[in-house]
Amino acid sequence: MTTHYPIDARRSQLAGHASTTEKVGESLPFDDPRHLSAHRWIVEETYLLDEQRYQDWLATLADDIHYYMPVKVTTALGAGYDTAPGMAHFDENKYSLSRRVARFETEHAWTEDPPSRLRHFVTNVRTFATDNDDEIVVESATLLFRSRGDINEPAIVSAGRRDLLRRNGDGWLLARRHLAVDESVLRTQNLAIFL
Amino acid sequence: MADQTAVFEAVREGMIPAHVYNDREIFELERDRLFNRSWMFLAHESEIPDVGDYVVRHVLEDSFIVTRDNKGEVRVMFNMCLHRGMQVCRAEMGNASNFRCPYHGWSYRNDGRILGLPFHQEAYGGEEGFKKKGQTLLPAPSMDTYNGLIFISLDPDAEPLEDFLGDFKFYLDYYTKQSADGVEVRGPQRWRVKANWKIGAENFAGDMYHTPQTHTSVVEIGLFREPKAEKRKDGNTYWATSGGGTTYKLPPGTLEERLAYVGYPAEMIERMKESWSQDQLDVIGRDGFMISAASIFPNISLVHNWPKVEDTDSDEVLPFISLRQWQPISENETEVLSWFIVDKNAPEEFKALSYKAYLMCFGSTGMFEQDDVENWVSLTNTAAGSMARRLHLNSRMGMKMDGSEVVPALTKEQFAGPGKAYVGYGEYSQRNLLSKWADYLEREPEPAKGISLGGAIRGEQGRTSCSEEQNR
Repeated sequence: MTTHYPIDARRSQLAGHASTTEKVGESLPFDDPRHLSAHRWIVEETYLLDEQRYQDWLATLADDIHYYMPVKVTTALGAGYDTAPGMAHFDENKYSLSRRVARFETEHAWTEDPPSRLRHFVTNVRTFATDNDDEIVVESATLLFRSRGDINEPAIVSAGRRDLLRRNGDGWLLARRHLAVDESVLRTQNLAIFL
Repeated sequence: MADQTAVFEAVREGMIPAHVYNDREIFELERDRLFNRSWMFLAHESEIPDVGDYVVRHVLEDSFIVTRDNKGEVRVMFNMCLHRGMQVCRAEMGNASNFRCPYHGWSYRNDGRILGLPFHQEAYGGEEGFKKKGQTLLPAPSMDTYNGLIFISLDPDAEPLEDFLGDFKFYLDYYTKQSADGVEVRGPQRWRVKANWKIGAENFAGDMYHTPQTHTSVVEIGLFREPKAEKRKDGNTYWATSGGGTTYKLPPGTLEERLAYVGYPAEMIERMKESWSQDQLDVIGRDGFMISAASIFPNISLVHNWPKVEDTDSDEVLPFISLRQWQPISENETEVLSWFIVDKNAPEEFKALSYKAYLMCFGSTGMFEQDDVENWVSLTNTAAGSMARRLHLNSRMGMKMDGSEVVPALTKEQFAGPGKAYVGYGEYSQRNLLSKWADYLEREPEPAKGISLGGAIRGEQGRTSCSEEQNR
């Protein structure tokens, strides 16, 4: 009996614009140039996110990005789903992400003043070909350590990610990110951060 | 336990001993005297639309299964096996005809009745040893619904829900009855914040004063056109029986123009006209006030706002509604459950964009909400210390030293809603909420009746006579 339900963007009402490209076959060998280049891309991304260089991060997103983190729910074995119907934490397009980034650039985003100390640990990276040469699927695990203030307990957010990267010159753009968050009740005061 | 009389007296004067936001003894009083008695929200009927659907929700540490039984009726049952006390349902949601305890295999129908009791004859001597017939998971002591919102009270003698809600029902309809078929409720997002539960409830009940400061950033990025200081103070705050809230003053116009101003399409406006009373329509059409945030005592809040959700040059906005519960975990931790609400009959495109508006503004990722919680965590931290035991926070806004009002209450001609309403900044609702809180905390708890199954405690009536009718 399966315990793993891949995120299905059809459960989102806001995914109409998003690419539906799927992975094909087994993961690419770790010495495949596409894997190496995609791995580098997602490692570089962690530095952008840790350093909160959000405008630079925004520039790495495709215009049709769908950035989606459904709400995880605890369901009985065999229930057939493990996310809340019609509800997500993030269900974003480029405009809504751009507003989030713009807010951090005002002087009044109190929740990040003083800023959080962030460390994204990204691992378990594997890459898949798709049915077109310009797009690859990259799966990874991410663990975010977030510390706020001097004595507050730090927060940890763990999630699996399935990204669609699209070729852009010599590099890649993030065209889709599905985030499978591992807790149904988040232990962080908000998600004023990205994973 | 310390005598808290001085705390309650100060609170009623609008002077709040700061430690009430982080105090173990106060929290224990809240548990025993408030949450054990008051009506508490659990779920909305639309979360369990089909026979067998269930969700599991809590009142503090008590876990309840909210089901739609095979007859289509909503049931709320204490999630504890009658035998050894295991949770019979360990999922948060799903669909089941029955719940089986994994420990010894007792099972219960989705209306609570015992279905299977392994080796009943061999182990208990059948009905003569343990009366299985008519035995059920413990039903919530009191249960009732309003507009599909399912409430329970742990007090079997709780006043009727409609009396408890009282005049606030008038305002609740704006959020949960925009057409005859009511609303659908989605979620909740759940997350835990290191803040006392009362702060959120007070904030939503009447804090218009924080909007222009806390939420400056969302105006600056073009998400919201309303919270500018000069606009916010033109709205009013009101309190009616069990709850209170805030409104925005709308630009001049007809009822239809004003509802369209916040982004409702014509067909939804037509349905609102059919489902709301003349007074409810007058608040908007005649008086020019649009409901925004609100709280129902003790710990649920609502919000209605109208941000810009798409990248266009126009000023077009779209409204959303959210319901949230401030579920107390301890004196300094709260689990927030935040739902998105939308009218069942709204056009699909409206539903999608309203959901988007919700995500951008409120909930775990919402850009309004993020800044609120930062403040509330900080307040809670500070309230734990010795200095906080000396400081009385001034919550008397809108009231002069001698208790007289800064501005007069609105007349029925100025505001058609029930209760008492005032234009401008004031902490009327917060004072009402905390006065009610003091009333509950001051009242000694009645000892809860014990329930013993299969009844063999001397001097106590067993629950063996529990009839099926009792659960209807």
